[in-house]
Amino acid sequence: MGLLIECKEKEPGVYIVIPKGEINTQTYQILESALRDNAASAKALVFEMGQVSYVSSLGLSAIFRIKLALEERKATLVLVNMRPPVALVFETMKILSAQVFASLQEADEYLDRFLDGVQKGTIKPRTPLT
Amino acid sequence: MEQQFTLEETLATDLSQVMPLVERIAQKVLALTASAEETFQVKLALEEALTNAMRHGNLLIAKQVVTVKVKASRERIILDIHDQGKGFDFSNLRDPTQGENTERISGRGVFLMRKLMDDIEFYDAGSGVKMVKSFRLKPGA
Repeated sequence: MGLLIECKEKEPGVYIVIPKGEINTQTYQILESALRDNAASAKALVFEMGQVSYVSSLGLSAIFRIKLALEERKATLVLVNMRPPVALVFETMKILSAQVFASLQEADEYLDRFLDGVQKGTIKPRTPLT
Repeated sequence: MEQQFTLEETLATDLSQVMPLVERIAQKVLALTASAEETFQVKLALEEALTNAMRHGNLLIAKQVVTVKVKASRERIILDIHDQGKGFDFSNLRDPTQGENTERISGRGVFLMRKLMDDIEFYDAGSGVKMVKSFRLKPGA
């Protein structure tokens, strides 16, 4: 199964990313290249994961790389509405735990606090990994 | 309903070969077990093992191959993946869920394989891996 990516701007600088399919060895680069421009300029990416049926470690790494790139610019990402098997992969790997939300409403509260922190200067850019 | 299957394939080192084979085996596992959950687990462990074999074992050298042997029944599946690399120190792997390892970009494949399968054993200095998973038998199956 392949991967399709839909991306739409929710509000200025905040994008909803809707991947559809599997994020695996064959498709993880589709995700990264589709979001390269957004990751370079967005304040936040919201991954609506409801149509992702499978994710492997290369998929996790791709999402993690996007997160790091965002955090180096004081931006962030959240993941919402994961299917149970996909959520279990994230839980097992204890990856992005603070950025996974059951719903868009819950994620919005986090994003509001985050973007407020950026404005007030309490959110610092991540130091790039060496 | 299918009762068992065996499969033996040799793949050239080419990452585009991974998912078609994984998908084919996953379909057979689903037919055998009727369990989407167990199929997901086998599929993921197999993808991780094949990707590791090609990337870290064969170092993406196209002329090197990966052999895959599968023996499955309704009770369990045995997956054997072997590459032509030099192996690796499988006794000293970082736990990617602990401390600063959670912030590393890679290094999660073997951990996932261990979590998803019941038994996993490296051989030939790590250039081969054998994984076993028992299936939950359904009532009346």
